[in-house]
Amino acid sequence: MTSKRRPVTYTTDGVVVRTSNLGEADRIITLVTPIHGVVRGVAKAARKPGSKLGGHLDLLKHVSVSIRETRTLHGLSQAATVNGFRGLRNDLDKFSRASYVSEMAERFSVENGANQPLFRLLIAVLASLETTDNPEMAIHFFEMRLLQLSGFAPELSKCVETGVVLEPANHLYSADRGGLVNNESRPVGESALLPAGLNTIKLLRFLSKTDIQQAGVMKPSEGENRQLSRILRAQIHHVLDRGLRSEAFMDEVRSRPSHNSEAIAPDNSVSIE
Amino acid sequence: MANSEIAPSAAPPVARLIEAFHRLPGIGPKSAQRLTYHLIRMPQDEAEEFAAAILGVKERVVLCETCANIAEAAECVICGDLQRDNSRICVVEEPLDVVAVERARVYSGKYHVLHGVISPVNGIGPNDLKLRELLERLRDGKVKEVIVATNPNLEGEATAMYIQQLIGPLGVSVTRLARGLPSGSDIEYADDSTLAHALESRSEIPSPQTDASS
Repeated sequence: MTSKRRPVTYTTDGVVVRTSNLGEADRIITLVTPIHGVVRGVAKAARKPGSKLGGHLDLLKHVSVSIRETRTLHGLSQAATVNGFRGLRNDLDKFSRASYVSEMAERFSVENGANQPLFRLLIAVLASLETTDNPEMAIHFFEMRLLQLSGFAPELSKCVETGVVLEPANHLYSADRGGLVNNESRPVGESALLPAGLNTIKLLRFLSKTDIQQAGVMKPSEGENRQLSRILRAQIHHVLDRGLRSEAFMDEVRSRPSHNSEAIAPDNSVSIE
Repeated sequence: MANSEIAPSAAPPVARLIEAFHRLPGIGPKSAQRLTYHLIRMPQDEAEEFAAAILGVKERVVLCETCANIAEAAECVICGDLQRDNSRICVVEEPLDVVAVERARVYSGKYHVLHGVISPVNGIGPNDLKLRELLERLRDGKVKEVIVATNPNLEGEATAMYIQQLIGPLGVSVTRLARGLPSGSDIEYADDSTLAHALESRSEIPSPQTDASS
């Protein structure tokens, strides 16, 4: 019987989510792809100015690339940009958010694990971040949909402690148990419960059912946004067993007042008269 | 301790050296073995010179207190050069980038080495770079221009944007190295962002000098 094997060389779409230097002029590229999951490969001489690959295989680019499989790092060639997401490349805030999204996509993907819905979600959210004036909701939409696609959809209609259908009211959220907890049946000794106001719960339910365009229409208050962030992040941290590296930079860029050099100066920085 | 996996049958000192080479970036086990056996065949005085050079680097090289470039003293050769232009600082990612810019022989200002770029997915933020030291250098108001020469990739661009937002409001001119098509390349293979930058930074072709009247 002949075993079914993937071809040794294939062409795939992918989004570049990580790069690192190798040797004198090569670059290791990590891609999230729809059919082959996370793919790591070497782009030979990609750091040289005349390279045909280097410009295409930059971070956060949607590319089409030819991959030659080997036992260790694959070889990458014939790259072409499908979408360079230029809008993410000249705005620090958008760059920081797109980095967070791409890191999550990488962490929720596995090698040789086809995940076309995740890839389509990644492309859609990066495209949305390019143009939206409501990036917070684009991020929340991505977080929620990623949890759903990975089988960790939060329970938003019943209490995860008692199983009782929740009344419209303020409740709590438990990342450990993966859903809402009735305010009145707070488990004894449970310390990691997060507040979930009524509007926040409505927003979570809305995010779990809507598409990215509709999500961008919603304008939650600052407090609701904060609750959404804490709940969705806590759930993602629980699933991944740790936080994401890009969170700190995204939070820093988001929190700083623009055009204020003292406010964005690195820690322990000197003041400039 | 000798690494038996890389060189199981080699004598302990040889295995130790192979392992030491293997720890260097870009050196695989085969290259490590080749370099080791090359050193074994090397004349004694050359080998001693080689070893002394390695020790010298570790014992005498420090970071310049001003620009964070590699130096032999508290101040590097470039910062100590009184002939150089103090009003311009070229900000680069790594010490090797200073060497590259110097090779062009067109820049006579000073440098500042960041020792990295902002890379959120690798957990590298502004606090991990030598940005505080850069701000310190701008305090006296003598610097009129900061040229950001980080690599022309997304992380380099993000670092340039961050620097612009950090020091732009201080009245210091922040410029970026021009980007476009590399010499000798084909437009056909250029990616969209390189072509876009090349179009945005296009320049007029100078008229030929006509000497017909003379």
